[in-house]
Amino acid sequence: MANRSTTHTAASAPDAPVVRCDEVTRTYTRGTDPVLKRRQQPTVTALDAVSLAIDSGEFVGVSGPSGSGKSTLLYLLAGLDVPTRGTVAIHGIDTKALSERERAALRLEHVGIVFQRFHLVPSLSARGNVALPLVEHGVRKRERHRRADTLLDRVGLGDRATHAPGELSGGEQQRVAIARALVTEPALLIADEPTGELDTETGARVLDVVSKATDACAVVLASHDDQALARTDRVIRLRDGRIVDDA
Amino acid sequence: MRRRFTRLYGLTTIGVRRIRARLTTNTSGGLLAAVAAVTVTIALMTTVSGIALGLASQSAIQSEDVDYWVVPDATTPTAIAASVQGPKLGNVHAASTRLTRDDRIEYATPVETSLIRVTNGGGEGAYVLALGIVVPETPRTVAGLSTRGLTPGDPHYANGTYSGPWTGEAVISGATAEVLDVQRAVTLDVETGDTARTLTVRRVAENDVSTGVGPVPVVIVHLSELQTISGATSGDAASQLLVSTTDPSVQSDIEAVYPGTTVVTRTGLSQTASLSSLPLAIALAAFVTSVVVGVLFVATMMGLELLSDRETLAVFTALGYSARSVTVLVLVETLSITVVGGVLGVSLGVLGIEAVNLVSGQYLGVAPALVDPRLLGYGVAIALGIGIVAALYPVWLYRRVPALEVLSR
Repeated sequence: MANRSTTHTAASAPDAPVVRCDEVTRTYTRGTDPVLKRRQQPTVTALDAVSLAIDSGEFVGVSGPSGSGKSTLLYLLAGLDVPTRGTVAIHGIDTKALSERERAALRLEHVGIVFQRFHLVPSLSARGNVALPLVEHGVRKRERHRRADTLLDRVGLGDRATHAPGELSGGEQQRVAIARALVTEPALLIADEPTGELDTETGARVLDVVSKATDACAVVLASHDDQALARTDRVIRLRDGRIVDDA
Repeated sequence: MRRRFTRLYGLTTIGVRRIRARLTTNTSGGLLAAVAAVTVTIALMTTVSGIALGLASQSAIQSEDVDYWVVPDATTPTAIAASVQGPKLGNVHAASTRLTRDDRIEYATPVETSLIRVTNGGGEGAYVLALGIVVPETPRTVAGLSTRGLTPGDPHYANGTYSGPWTGEAVISGATAEVLDVQRAVTLDVETGDTARTLTVRRVAENDVSTGVGPVPVVIVHLSELQTISGATSGDAASQLLVSTTDPSVQSDIEAVYPGTTVVTRTGLSQTASLSSLPLAIALAAFVTSVVVGVLFVATMMGLELLSDRETLAVFTALGYSARSVTVLVLVETLSITVVGGVLGVSLGVLGIEAVNLVSGQYLGVAPALVDPRLLGYGVAIALGIGIVAALYPVWLYRRVPALEVLSR
């Protein structure tokens, strides 16, 4: 995929990690207190001095109880959020140094995201949903369709390209969402509880598709499901915003 | 550049598809209400503008062949149709003869306007607006009626003696024929102070002279005969002078003929007519009302729709869509709504104009509204304008809703 923004043309070394976190801390302001003013408002630390690196081809699981900071870590790795302290670098590019617009371009270029609740656009067909990121890329319609169809074939939904999300089962919708995340050939695939709303058998099929993606990119999978985590190369366990295990 | 265009085209397609699906398959009450609001406001604006247009286009006696009107200063151009009283021009025959000698001028005639009472053979009488002119050699249109059927020149004038033959020829408008229930070749009696005069209908014109209150009964006669009927022979007076020419350099010469008068050009007259008084006020009021109501309603509805759809927009952001692209998407969706409403509104507005003319014609005998093809474009353009302004609110809302917060729920 050609670069859309000159900001991301800085090529990283071939063996450099796809994404790297150094002493990343993320705090959120809790509520607003007109008396205490902004600087003295109470804050909550979602992530505390987390450091990690993920290489291309790695399948990394992220686990931890609710409130442990899994989602915060995923959003930071995806470039949807920026750390309060420390650095998150995707392909060597510090996300904090980028503007909102540049981070959007970085996500489009290098990151694919799969949500727990699929988040497909109901008015578009499966093919239209998969091709969504390519629209922002400025890819022409015929090429968009060709690439979307290829991806739908890869996830086993080649015959469902013209179906609307409402006509697909939960597992099929999630596979469409995975195809959408992979259509730009990202370096990093972020999957946030992709099997959370699926039954065991369907979830296993979805995980098959996700694990196959590691041929071309790094995958970070957040899950509570031990069976899902068992498929990963490495599991990062979080508790109270800190990494308690990385093996 | 091509890439940017492809992106814009793709975003437009997505926006239109999303709106189409929400209006048809996953019916959204808010969007339907927004379409209905635009439809109603544009329909009302089209109908009212049609009425205003009808009033504006009928507010002055105009002639296709005439380029200059010479009128006394105290007479405003828009009052030409009704300037049967007030200041007059003098020695009009001599003045028009002098102007006609100029090669650049195709035709010049004084026009005397006077309300006269005529009666048919059955004793039925009516007041009609009489226009007295010097009839041209080649038939021309004056006040919308052709002079065909009238003897050229002004025989009764006879060099100012008013002793020439009385032709009594008259071309009458359809409204006059209807009011007096007369046809061609019928003789009409004219009520004058002393001498009894008659007019013979040489032709009933197909056209009518209309004003804002409907067709006016008009009769065109020779100038000197009308002057005799109305007692304007003294001083050879007439209300105005019409000059037809294709040479604009003649204007200063026309102005020199009657110092102290106003020479109004065709452009000046149409501008004055269209910019004057009631029709413009009506059209402006319709415009302002529809824009304000349309913008407020569409902005509110699209704002509510955006709030209920913010999860999808947050996904677009998460996928890597720039804020600018999502803004384009919101704009396209709002414009789609207003264009659909605009097209429906214009269609409904044209039906409204027809209905107004039908009802008004049935009960008042007049058809005040006009369907002009430009009204269709005007309605859709206003709908687009409403969409552009109304989109500011949902765009502002989108910018205030952080994608991360929405996705975290």
